Amino acid sequence: MSELISIFLSVAVINNLIISKFLGLCPFFGVSKKIGNALSMGIAVTLVMLVASIATWFINNLILIPFEIEYMNIIMYILVIAALVQIIELFIKRTNLSLYNALGIYLPLITTNCAVLGITLINAQESYGLLESIVSSLGGGVGFLLVLVIMSGIREKLEIADAPSSMRGLPVAMLVGAMLGLTFFGFGGMI
Amino acid sequence: MSGFRKEFIKGIIISNPLFVLALGFCPALAVSTSVDNAIGMSVGVAFVLLGSNIIVSAIRKSVPNIVRIPVFIVIIATFVTVVNLIFHAFVPALYESLGIYLPLIVVNCIILGRAEAFASKNPITSSIADALGVSIGFFLALLIISLIREMLGTGSLSLFGYNLLTLPVLGDNPMILFILPPGAFLVMGLLLALFRRMGVMKGE
Amino acid sequence: MKARTLREFFPIIFITLVVFLAVALLSVTYSITKDEIKTQEELKIQRLLEEMFPEMSEYTLKNEVYTVYSKGDTVGYAFVATGKGYGGTIDILVGLKNETTVKGIKIISQQETPGLGNKILESDFTSNFTTLDINNIFLKRDGGSIDAITGATISSRAVTDAVRTTILEKLEALKESK
Repeated sequence: MSELISIFLSVAVINNLIISKFLGLCPFFGVSKKIGNALSMGIAVTLVMLVASIATWFINNLILIPFEIEYMNIIMYILVIAALVQIIELFIKRTNLSLYNALGIYLPLITTNCAVLGITLINAQESYGLLESIVSSLGGGVGFLLVLVIMSGIREKLEIADAPSSMRGLPVAMLVGAMLGLTFFGFGGMI
Repeated sequence: MSGFRKEFIKGIIISNPLFVLALGFCPALAVSTSVDNAIGMSVGVAFVLLGSNIIVSAIRKSVPNIVRIPVFIVIIATFVTVVNLIFHAFVPALYESLGIYLPLIVVNCIILGRAEAFASKNPITSSIADALGVSIGFFLALLIISLIREMLGTGSLSLFGYNLLTLPVLGDNPMILFILPPGAFLVMGLLLALFRRMGVMKGE
Repeated sequence: MKARTLREFFPIIFITLVVFLAVALLSVTYSITKDEIKTQEELKIQRLLEEMFPEMSEYTLKNEVYTVYSKGDTVGYAFVATGKGYGGTIDILVGLKNETTVKGIKIISQQETPGLGNKILESDFTSNFTTLDINNIFLKRDGGSIDAITGATISSRAVTDAVRTTILEKLEALKESK
């Protein structure tokens, strides 16, 4: 159990996907200007990460490893993630239209989100079991959501801040990222 | 030939993938901890970009529109896997230090972006020029970031095991922050502001 | 009618063809690089063993334990230990002089923070383990004799713990097999 908690904390805050692994920077800088959007995006990413981790674990252990074709992992993972995103999108559209309206536009973007592919690659690299993969992807999603929401809150304020013209927008967002990174170092002693 | 030159030069400064188009931050921030990594990453990206641009351009007239994106992704993923295998076999040290960022080239927005926005609409020669230009632009940007980070963060500069220079003072007390993740954001943010100040980068 | 059906199926045929070609290209590349990747990994272990046991003339691998010989005499054992560091897995080659003394350690691979945790690569840290009694493999603050790297206790402890537990495991296995 403590092993699982340590995986969760490590992926969620200490080795946060955005802040310390630089995965998923596009949504971090792109959609994170409103807290509501950030929340929806974060939930959508967490959902896809969870399903993708489970699917890639089965692919890894039922196809790639038994047939000794682990070198095919990149092509398999990316196709599976693309297909999963389509299926999840269809499923949500059929079952819950209001949820679809909230998350819908973010789902297609997730296919090329490095955070999702990144977490499946990390799980494979660390050779996590099924349960560990699930915990690690949940941690990754929660960490992603957390940073996206924090960042969007800061950026709502930044919009009205009086920054030098050449710093406005992306450059100042990068500097905020740097400061967030420094604060997250505080979590280092947790494991 | 002048068309070739135009497409080639364009990617280096005017539409530099990193500083101007703001694409592909993920690998640029993650692997710019040392000049070695920056060179390795650039070679990987250049190979994949060149390969995918050539193939995408060659099949641009026959690929059915509705499966366009999946086909591009398969092509890119294939070249990324080839790069992975080659790096693993012939430069294992680099392969290890690039880690998961080498396979992640597959979701690098620069590559799918060039396939979709340029190679799928242009003939092979200009697609090659485009790939070369963008790759060099990416490499130069990565080189600047990694030079700053390695020199400030380790107080020295080395290239594939050869120590090129050790800075006075910093050599003994390097500013470790610069090779840690926050340092990447810091350097990138300041460089973006600097380039915008110089008028190279357009406002948002 | 027939022409139309063909056109409808064309996208599916096209993408199948692309995937087929991709797989063919990959298996060719894989078969070319496969042996090279394997020898690279073996060479790395061999190089580390040679650094650890300069007198080594040959070695054998059995049950994940390398037995190192020098002109026919056994001079030590080595095996791989795996630790959980700050940034991910750390693989360590552990050398034993005999059943009570460590010969030394070498880091095979790690993903620790550059400038902090990755100082476990430096001999300042790894030399802590050279000719160490196996009962003292603890950090100084845990009552052993290993100096932790300043600011990188997690990485130092990960290496130390992995080395100690793997040595105990292997010695246990060695006793049982005797």
